[in-house]
Amino acid sequence: MNPRFQELPHGYPFRFVDRTVTKTGPASGSVRAMITAGARRVEQGTALAPLTLAELIAQAALLLQGGDAELGRSGFLAGFSDLQVHRFPEAGDVLTVAVTMAGRLGPVVKFEGSISDDSGRAVASGGITVRQGTAQAPVAQAPAGS
Amino acid sequence: MDQGDLKTRVKELIVKQLKLEIDPTTIQNDTPLFGDAEGGLGLDSIDALELVLGVEKEFGIKVQDEEVGVAAFASVDALCGFIQSKAA
Repeated sequence: MNPRFQELPHGYPFRFVDRTVTKTGPASGSVRAMITAGARRVEQGTALAPLTLAELIAQAALLLQGGDAELGRSGFLAGFSDLQVHRFPEAGDVLTVAVTMAGRLGPVVKFEGSISDDSGRAVASGGITVRQGTAQAPVAQAPAGS
Repeated sequence: MDQGDLKTRVKELIVKQLKLEIDPTTIQNDTPLFGDAEGGLGLDSIDALELVLGVEKEFGIKVQDEEVGVAAFASVDALCGFIQSKAA
């Protein structure tokens, strides 16, 4: 079992990432995600939806970053930007999700991610912003209105 | 760069980076950027991070968490002062 699974709060059927492939920084690297025919989102007759791809990048970032799964449950995907989908993954695809942290301001973190298939073809890319759960949110240091 | 040019660049950056549908010239120098103040832009913490990333890219300065306070990003005037202090 990937030990970092214990740091990821997502469970079936909402866990989309399978294992860390490379880790190049505190929240940077690449993650493997296998799309199986038995996955509920595939069983429903549709390939992965665009928002699921954004969530895939978010989960990859969280898996790479590590942390406390319990604390992670209080975080959420706050937004995404410039999401480009080149094709929708299907059952049998083995995806690689490459992620880098673009910036952080208190509990708000932005990651840039790209998803490719096992032949290296681009599947999707985009930026995602997550608000991470913190026991003492340092957002008080950020501009008012947060 | 003089103050006028810097303020124009900052206003254009705010609009472009945050994809606001307003004319940059309508932003007053002392308009509150964050919060619900009347006449303010009403930006939130997500916008704050986007703005930090934009300022870093546009002006080549690094914004550390602890440096980003209410004062630094309170208005165009404040942000220009912050940028000039980092560039000095």
